[in-house]
Amino acid sequence: MEGIPVTKSISSYIIQSQDEELKRIALELHEGVGQTLYSLYTGLQYIEMGIEQPGMKAYLQEMQQTMERTIKEIQMLSVELHPPTLSLGLVSAIKSYVRLYTSTYGIVVSVESIGEEKILPDQNKIAVFRVCQEALINIAKYADIDSASIQLDWREEEIKVVIVDHGQGFNVKKVLKENLSSGLGAMQERMLLAGGTCDIASTQGKGTSILIDMPL
Amino acid sequence: MEYRGSDADMDQPTFSDVLDVCHEMRAELNCDFAAIAIQDDIGTDIKWPYASGNRNEKYKRITVRYGKGIAGKVISTGRPMMISDLSNDKSSMVLEHPIMLAEQLLSAYSVPLLINGTAKGALLAGNRSSHLFTENEQNSIAKYVHKLEIMFNSNHSL
Repeated sequence: MEGIPVTKSISSYIIQSQDEELKRIALELHEGVGQTLYSLYTGLQYIEMGIEQPGMKAYLQEMQQTMERTIKEIQMLSVELHPPTLSLGLVSAIKSYVRLYTSTYGIVVSVESIGEEKILPDQNKIAVFRVCQEALINIAKYADIDSASIQLDWREEEIKVVIVDHGQGFNVKKVLKENLSSGLGAMQERMLLAGGTCDIASTQGKGTSILIDMPL
Repeated sequence: MEYRGSDADMDQPTFSDVLDVCHEMRAELNCDFAAIAIQDDIGTDIKWPYASGNRNEKYKRITVRYGKGIAGKVISTGRPMMISDLSNDKSSMVLEHPIMLAEQLLSAYSVPLLINGTAKGALLAGNRSSHLFTENEQNSIAKYVHKLEIMFNSNHSL
């Protein structure tokens, strides 16, 4: 019995370290590599102004376009690794991710926040965000549906998040038992490690609902 | 991004002219889905304005970045791309191709559309079962690509 808390704390430590590392890389990409590329981009624009040879001018413009695309790629990669909107709160981060999600997978997600948003410790905020992210990815992969909803209910001592889709649904016990989707187990594990819970309910042909409960 | 014809410009293709090419190709190839992706004039994002055989409206909301997804890869490389069985690597690959995920496609063949000499779009034929597109099918798709390029290059506007 003594091994369980040790394992739990090690897992928590590993997850926290990974999150911190992702945040560091995201920041480095955005503030470091991104800014350097932007300096090169403005440099190319400056050089282009001084060139009259049409062939070279066209080549430089092409280089600028490539540089512009690379800067955007770096920005997107940075956001994917660690959404900067997380610092503005969980609701902002989820809304921001949902916009990107809809334009990527074409699935419309309604986000509703009930009650006043409370401050969550960073670790718990990231845990809830990542579980919501995983739930939405699963909807895109398996639910075969074009809309879903997320409701965040801010209570006195806890936050409850409900993610609902009316898609294909699945046999939760079977999937968890046969480890068909390691993502589901990881979602539950992640919430447990952060001190919360994650309950998954699904009916084949009717849809899936995921309830996240996190003490404040 | 769609081309809108005007009374003064009767020779230029309308949205339905272009969509008809998708319908025609889908019928000839007997495939489940046919669609055209076009890169934005401003920026590099790629959208799917034309689709035939779609199961839902998700394609209208999908935007892929240059170099991402099947259309993004075809446009950035300027080369055709074939996926014969996406179910072989469902866990990770499927997320890389949102249009295939949205339309539950397991196989697809996509060819770049050259507008003014540059790859600015892609024509895609897809199936909801695994399928290896034969040389004959690839030639048929190339024929429709040629038809679309003539349409698009004649009006320089999508």
